[in-house]
Amino acid sequence: MKRRVVITACSAITPIGYGRQAIVDSLCRGRSGVKPLRDDGLLTGHIHSRVFGTVDYPIAYEFNRSQRKTMGPVAYYACQVAKDTLAASGLSRDFIGSGRLGVAFGSTHGSPTVQREIYKTFFQHLETEFSSIGAVDYLRSMVHTTAVNITRMFGITGRVIASSTACTTSSQAIGFGYEMVKYGMQDAMLCGGADEYDTTTVAVFDNLLACSVGYNDRPARTPRPFDRGRDGLVVGEGGAAVLLEEYEAARKRGAPILGEVIGFACNNNGGDLILPNLKGITSTLRLALADAAIEPAAVDYVSAHATATKMGDIVESQAIEAVYGQKPHVTGLKSYTGHTMGTCGAIELIMTLYMMAEGFLAPTLNLEEVDPRCAMLNHTPGVIEATTRIASIQNFAFGGVNTCLLVKNGSEVG
Amino acid sequence: MTRDVLQEKILTILIQDFEFQQPGLNDNLRDDHGFDSIDAIELLAKIERVLGFSLTREEKEKAMEIRTINDILDYLERIRQGSGR
Repeated sequence: MKRRVVITACSAITPIGYGRQAIVDSLCRGRSGVKPLRDDGLLTGHIHSRVFGTVDYPIAYEFNRSQRKTMGPVAYYACQVAKDTLAASGLSRDFIGSGRLGVAFGSTHGSPTVQREIYKTFFQHLETEFSSIGAVDYLRSMVHTTAVNITRMFGITGRVIASSTACTTSSQAIGFGYEMVKYGMQDAMLCGGADEYDTTTVAVFDNLLACSVGYNDRPARTPRPFDRGRDGLVVGEGGAAVLLEEYEAARKRGAPILGEVIGFACNNNGGDLILPNLKGITSTLRLALADAAIEPAAVDYVSAHATATKMGDIVESQAIEAVYGQKPHVTGLKSYTGHTMGTCGAIELIMTLYMMAEGFLAPTLNLEEVDPRCAMLNHTPGVIEATTRIASIQNFAFGGVNTCLLVKNGSEVG
Repeated sequence: MTRDVLQEKILTILIQDFEFQQPGLNDNLRDDHGFDSIDAIELLAKIERVLGFSLTREEKEKAMEIRTINDILDYLERIRQGSGR
């Protein structure tokens, strides 16, 4: 059994805004969400990169104590976008608790903020006589905390997939959710990812010389995907969710169709855990096309992973050219948000859905002088009017994991 | 520490940390205030700090039978009398 899978609701908390209007406005105005790195009193003094994709606006959470007690900051992002998405979907309470709706949601490593609190207790020799780890600390910090706080909050009883593959966390979640619905295991899946403010991740990439350090005094000028002056990625935070539904059921209940997931692929490079791999990435893109049963020429927009690392952008450019040629417009959307890690695939999918719906494409921010090794692509030249039928959202992670989601414009679904 | 003083401390914890609204001494903690087993473990950790000593595993397991704030106070009195702590 193969069924069609459509996106009927979504929500995103990003460094460039929360909700469709704010995000579209930032994309149209070229507004960056990269700000100075906030001091954490522990690692920031040792990190060379001083920039971060920051959610710096207030969010009116309305979670009660019973809900909050098992939530770290990452679950706040996750539950808020899940709440928005379910509210926008119009799904009945009966269906939500029927077992036919599942959750595929993840984060890079749960809540590092809570984990840090736990270890601080040990290393500072506090409360040594009494119970120093709270009963809920594990629930707040564990790697599947986002997925199960969502199931708990909304009484969701279907399948749970808690992907945790760094930068492909949420694109995997969406892809696996798509497969759950496509093959009839579930009728709908709430999918996405979240990651909280965390300097540990910055420190890791900083140590690997992969973080941007040359624009610390001008945060909005970095990251610079595909630009000759790019010097690395900028870590960010956020949360994003999409609701996937079986097409016929969504159509019958009159749900708005924001897009259709027509293809997905996930593979591994089968070797090095860090270096980008042309063969692996190229294979991912081709596998997704095969899953969608479309020709490369059908793809007219590519949301590139494009983290602005020196090698990653070049290898991805080669893969895009090898598979799609020079026709589709290409944007590196992390230029606006920074690299929101486990959230990036879902955020970039939602940004793409918004641009499809509003008939425009945004360019790669800070792309002022294209690196000649990335110049073979059709870089989106500015904010342009464009009718995008099919988009490719591609993400690649440490560990050699690659994903590609192919999405059709909601207005084309019928 | 007298029962009245303990009562005041427990009520303060329940109001400030567990967001109880107007707790009554004989309210059912679960039915009236949504207090569950996770909350019970958290409360025991706070009680240890109030008492100034650690509870044994057996003492903590007995606390799972508690239903009201008065039960908490009875439980604490029994512990203090029984252990001489």
